[in-house]
Amino acid sequence: MAPKVGIVGIGHCRFGNSSDYDLVDVIAYSANDAFEDAGGLQLRKQVDQVFVGNMAAGMFNHQTSVASALVSRMDMEPVPAELIENGPASGASAIRLGYMAIASGMADVVLVAAGEVMRSVSGWEATNIVATMAHTEAEYNMGLTLPGFAGMFTRLYMEKYGMTERDLALVAVKDHANGALNKYAHVQIPVTIDAIADGESANVVNNYVAEPLRMYSTCPISDGSAAVILVNMDSPKAKLFKKKAIRIAGIGSATDTHCVHNRKDPLVLDAVRLSSQIAYKMAGIGPKDISFAELHDAFVIFELLNSEEVGFFERGKSFIGVRNHETEIGGRIPINTSGGLKAKGHPVGATGVSQVVELVRQLRGEAEESRQVKDPKYGMAVNFGGFGNNVITTILAKD
Amino acid sequence: MIDFSVYETQVPHISGYKCENCGTIFYPAPMVCRKCSQKRDPTTGRGWETFDLEGPCKLLTWTRVWNLPEGFNKKYLMFGMVEFPNGLRASGRIEMEGDPKMGMDLTASVIEADERPGKPVKVFVFS
Repeated sequence: MAPKVGIVGIGHCRFGNSSDYDLVDVIAYSANDAFEDAGGLQLRKQVDQVFVGNMAAGMFNHQTSVASALVSRMDMEPVPAELIENGPASGASAIRLGYMAIASGMADVVLVAAGEVMRSVSGWEATNIVATMAHTEAEYNMGLTLPGFAGMFTRLYMEKYGMTERDLALVAVKDHANGALNKYAHVQIPVTIDAIADGESANVVNNYVAEPLRMYSTCPISDGSAAVILVNMDSPKAKLFKKKAIRIAGIGSATDTHCVHNRKDPLVLDAVRLSSQIAYKMAGIGPKDISFAELHDAFVIFELLNSEEVGFFERGKSFIGVRNHETEIGGRIPINTSGGLKAKGHPVGATGVSQVVELVRQLRGEAEESRQVKDPKYGMAVNFGGFGNNVITTILAKD
Repeated sequence: MIDFSVYETQVPHISGYKCENCGTIFYPAPMVCRKCSQKRDPTTGRGWETFDLEGPCKLLTWTRVWNLPEGFNKKYLMFGMVEFPNGLRASGRIEMEGDPKMGMDLTASVIEADERPGKPVKVFVFS
């Protein structure tokens, strides 16, 4: 029987603009934060394996071999260390591989640290670098970007299910309300529906990015890092850490076609549904057991689609749930209590770990009081790689 | 003798691919057939036919992108996803006056574009 794997340390920096800092320092900051949370920096010597999540440091920062650089920066040699790259799901993939390393018996303590410094280049260049995750010949060469795909995707959804641009804005208002309360969020300013949808100046304040997606339907370009320490809960080493472990109850992963146009129904995110089914089965629970969720919302349409694919809403009904306040903190199923990628920010390689840090904070009862979910038992995170073509779902449990 | 006229007569095209073993068609090219597992060798092309992917198509969805990536100097570009009569789908640029309509008939052609550094690339234009 595989050992139980838990999280005993979390670290996070404030997301935003860290372009004056070195990427490896930014990641090491959160790793140090995680060790301090777990009981002290001396615990780094207990680590059997380091996994680093990062998407594109070679292009953003002219830095490769980030894992080797990190262990040296943190005086952790000769610990084994590898870089995990899975686009914007690099962070969750690194956690999944950390879980596998412990479950296999090859490690008892794993540091997973992830980060990205994207604002070292211009916004145009960052958009271009992120677009390299698309199919080179059939998508990237056309000039298509991730916002472009999300725009086409959103139009399909609106046409099929009757969602409006105002519904998209309602998701953003909810996410920014949560982000304004999160000390780690990039954007800590709430927005009103009047400012971005109903008011006279809304078209100016909330301009189109990729029609029908507007600025407030799109995440900012952010820098930042996050880290978690995983332990074999049955190992004697687990006793070295002062924090009670939050257990990884389920973790699933699935892939879909690289080209979006090759999906039978482009609105169906098979990899989200399949990865969540694997995670549910492993945890022995279903959607109704989840207390709250962090769903990858690089574009707010993803939050809606993900919430349907993981079973919180029927297909085509999630935006009705948002209208009815069901996804707010205190609602039936709070979604993106951190502010999500929309408000907290989306340093691509860091996001998956950042989502899991939020799950731990909520499950420990350590989120800011004004946004703490009441007595949560299970938290779920969905992290997208590519345009939904490589997805990891993680379920954490408070035992 | 170098015949420079050759360069003027080259028309860009984008290929669809057909597995000669089972007839399944693809775009873009796979390395193995989804239906019969026939492999494709990109250096010889043996066992696979290619055909030009262009002409009539139907618009499935579209967007107008205002934040174009580095290298693009236009204010905006329109992009769309189309389906050809043979069932293959493709993504590319839309060039037309006014807003496209989902489901409308378009014609796909291929141009060479050089907005980004490096070799020019082939781009679908739906109009």
